[in-house]
Amino acid sequence: MTIRFLRNKVVEVTSLPDGSLAVSWRLTDDLLKAEVNLTVQPPDLEIVQAEVGLDRLVPRGWSTAPQLIKKIEGVRVGAGLRKIVLGLLGGPSGCSILVDAVLESANAVILHFTRPILQVGECLAGDEKMANLREMIKNNPRLIRSCVSFQDASPIMQGLQGDK
Amino acid sequence: MITFNRSQVIGAEFPSEDTVRFNGVLVDHIYSMEINMDVQLSDGKILSIEGIMKRYTNFVCPQAVPVLQIAVGMSLREDGWERRIMKEIGRKGCEHFAEIIIECGRCLDQAWLAKDLWQVLETDPGMDQMEFMEKWLAKQAD
Repeated sequence: MTIRFLRNKVVEVTSLPDGSLAVSWRLTDDLLKAEVNLTVQPPDLEIVQAEVGLDRLVPRGWSTAPQLIKKIEGVRVGAGLRKIVLGLLGGPSGCSILVDAVLESANAVILHFTRPILQVGECLAGDEKMANLREMIKNNPRLIRSCVSFQDASPIMQGLQGDK
Repeated sequence: MITFNRSQVIGAEFPSEDTVRFNGVLVDHIYSMEINMDVQLSDGKILSIEGIMKRYTNFVCPQAVPVLQIAVGMSLREDGWERRIMKEIGRKGCEHFAEIIIECGRCLDQAWLAKDLWQVLETDPGMDQMEFMEKWLAKQAD
């Protein structure tokens, strides 16, 4: 059976020579083509530049998207971002695709920092591997109960009970 | 150099008038997983779901696969559906499975619209696609 609708989404993070991060978020499907580019500045992960391009069948209500996304400049990637982005870019006069793009870009920035930590853990085995996982949770308490691996009943978490 | 890259691909087919069959794939430097899901078009209810976890970060992650069955009967049209999927499937199971389901849900009406637009274009290739889309979306909103 043929596919009647196909969506491709890509988000990429690139480290720039000045230490900032370029995030490119792109979507293409049968109806819409969208591209959001953010520049994120460490160490506080401030979004210093935001741009969007929309093409194909763009709902008329989204015509202000290029101006709207500028509201996100100055916002930091971190706790409370979802609420801030929904407030700035969401709602009846907002643009839902920008909300998704910015939140997914922010998530990619977090995973850019997570990847090397996980790669270090890959060299470990047995107790060392488990200790590394538990250290990661201690350093990132927001992981607790975030998924099945970090629920109270998980063997990873059970070893942490005394430390929490 | 690219230091993190994630791709998501969502395909939709229509095995019957009121059923959408989604195949969703998420692949990045850390994770790789796939969701196959049948959804009722009219009310957005998930009729069946299966997940395949190909690359993940620890030995507990595969326990998220059976958690997916909680999604059967949930609607991708009800108020707050994205939050519900993230809470029930993401937190109790796997956030990345939840992300694929949510992306499929976002494609639900888009797939329907694309199918209807294709049908009309077969008989009227010069029609105003923008006008068709605006009318279609307004009708859906009623």
